[in-house]
Amino acid sequence: MDRDLLDRFRTGDESAVKAVYERFRGPVFAISMTVLHDRGLAADASQQTFMKAWQAASTYDPERELGPWIYAIARRTAIDIYRKQMRSVVSDEVDSTSPPPALDTIWEVFEVRAALDRLSDEERQVIKLSHFDGLTHVEIAEHMDIPLGTVKSRSHRAHQKLLELLKHLEET
Amino acid sequence: MTEDRADYLASASGHEPADAERLDLVRDVLSREATWAEAPPEVADRLFASIQSGRPPVTATPTRKPSRWLAPVAAVLGLAAIVAVVVGITGVLSSADERVVAIGGTELHPEATGRAAIRETDSGWWIQLDISDLPPAEEGTYYEGWVWNDDGDGVSIGTFHLRGGDESVALWSGVDPSSYPAIWVTLEDEDGDPGASERIVMWGRP
Repeated sequence: MDRDLLDRFRTGDESAVKAVYERFRGPVFAISMTVLHDRGLAADASQQTFMKAWQAASTYDPERELGPWIYAIARRTAIDIYRKQMRSVVSDEVDSTSPPPALDTIWEVFEVRAALDRLSDEERQVIKLSHFDGLTHVEIAEHMDIPLGTVKSRSHRAHQKLLELLKHLEET
Repeated sequence: MTEDRADYLASASGHEPADAERLDLVRDVLSREATWAEAPPEVADRLFASIQSGRPPVTATPTRKPSRWLAPVAAVLGLAAIVAVVVGITGVLSSADERVVAIGGTELHPEATGRAAIRETDSGWWIQLDISDLPPAEEGTYYEGWVWNDDGDGVSIGTFHLRGGDESVALWSGVDPSSYPAIWVTLEDEDGDPGASERIVMWGRP
């Protein structure tokens, strides 16, 4: 994100907050779902995350990356809601016997989703059909009604871009 | 494994061993439903409705350090609030063992002004808020003071209601306000929720 936008975000500028929301709504909702396993609670967590980010925007240092700052707020917000759910007497929303996911996992989900959101729609669809739906290239070609060769080249390109965007995960 | 499946994996891994290893790191994440989940549109609707109803003060104003003579004068005359209005929202006054942070009202109560005097004690940090023109909290609600750090963590420093006419409030912080430099006052409902509400009524930062 460019410096001008980050500076405007820091002042609470609504258009900048919207741009930040668009950039990070996917990763924030993904980690909220990872922690809470419930769309309603995850929606609340996402809304609270961006509200807190907006409220604390003046404390954000534009010299630092925005992603980890948003991530820290989102993770803490989701875990706070998770703990609150654990304290409630009856909870149908969360399996009270399961601990929250490991911090490494939450961070990976945030980073992977952020990377996925930077792919084109077509590239992201191929990755999803491959890894989430478990389809083969032939099945993807049938599903998308495109030639097998196109699927292969698109898949290769999508994976290369995704891996490039996630290079830093290996280092950490 | 089918030939097509093997072909897919070879393609997906980019033919490079290093790429295959990296892909292994995230394969589990890519197979999770949560990774692909989309936030419902009402999240954005509610978020921006909240933002439009409770805009905090503009904070882009550079930190302003008043001249030495201003601190005692302002302390006596209560000029900190005026300073806050003049410079936008916040200003900082300092003395040997006490720091003063001007706080100002948000759009919820733009007329509110005040100052937070911060002093370290053996028990923690004593924070006295002197507030003007903030209405008493209605029954069923209360005000809550917070200090907030640069990582987005807030710590409550106490609650009050201002229904007695006294606008001087003593609060305590167990965390160092220099590490939690932003001071907020929020309006809370008596609903048992320990978190900060979205209704920030006053705000300040050195």
